[in-house]
Amino acid sequence: MRSENFARRFAAASAFALVASAPLAHADPDDYVHVPAVEYGEREIELRFGTASPTDDRRESAAALAFGYGITTWWATEIAAKWHRSDATGFDEIEWENRFQLTEPGQYFADFGLLVEIERPRDRAEGYELRIGPLIQKDFGPLQTNFNVLVERHYHASEPEQTELGYEWQLRYRYRPAFDFGAQGFGGVGAWNDWSPLREQQHIAGPAIFGKFNLGGRQVLKYDAAVLLRLTDAAPATTVRAQLEYEF
Amino acid sequence: MLARLLLVATFAVGTTTALAAGEPEFTLTLRDHRFTPSEVRVPANVKVKLVVDNQDPSPEEFDSHALNREKVIPGKSKATIFIGPLAPGRYSFMGEFNASTAHGIVVAE
Repeated sequence: MRSENFARRFAAASAFALVASAPLAHADPDDYVHVPAVEYGEREIELRFGTASPTDDRRESAAALAFGYGITTWWATEIAAKWHRSDATGFDEIEWENRFQLTEPGQYFADFGLLVEIERPRDRAEGYELRIGPLIQKDFGPLQTNFNVLVERHYHASEPEQTELGYEWQLRYRYRPAFDFGAQGFGGVGAWNDWSPLREQQHIAGPAIFGKFNLGGRQVLKYDAAVLLRLTDAAPATTVRAQLEYEF
Repeated sequence: MLARLLLVATFAVGTTTALAAGEPEFTLTLRDHRFTPSEVRVPANVKVKLVVDNQDPSPEEFDSHALNREKVIPGKSKATIFIGPLAPGRYSFMGEFNASTAHGIVVAE
């Protein structure tokens, strides 16, 4: 237990160090809302998809195929291959996501976790992309709320990059295991220390549905989908995103 | 500046750990893929600590949509699950890996 607490503190301290020293981004159409809880020993195959209506004459779509594993009671890792389609379709990047559960669900006034995600774009000129930030969840009876603030930055890129500040949130009303409903939102304000004018920021939000089907034994199928509408002019008018997860 | 941030982060996590104490505690035993007792009566509107003692050699996942909890408990080990504060009512839970036998109810009153 002592070494577990130390590891959690180390993860939190490392995150603050990285945020303090690192340069950040905006949401991809297939982005989803991360939760702080980790399930030990769980393996999952995940398919994500999203498509956003054109902002500059081009529809942007993205998809990802991921494999995840709960390595310990406090650390889950996932590796994903991502594809993008704008004017052409192609493999875009490899993503390595790590979620650290910092507190036991329900133990304190809110649940806390940490996301550390590294992306390696196929286009080596883009360098590496680091996304990091706290994951926060608070339950109000049957209503689950999540709010995550994430910073993102490219390293070793051919062009100078800035650290950007973004967020993701969701409300989830726990109605039935196979059907929960609520809302989700994503957005970014630009550079973390010099926010863009509101008309240039991207903010989207809209209704979402969630659910889970037990297939017997360890096998579970989960889904999560949303239709997100633009809240600012710079954002796509409509984004549709979906996630299907098979746990075993 | 960076050192200060690190200190604050470490202190914050350490402090919240130290403050965790005092919730009413209830124990559930899991044996032969069945929870005992299968009905747990807990006080309403109070945070409660459930200690699940998995005496089976195989892992089990405590799963409750109503309580919003999913936690894997390795075989021959114990896990702590915090629930509530709950409004008065009945909240079902199950062992996801053996759902046909492992199920129960938390009654908040």
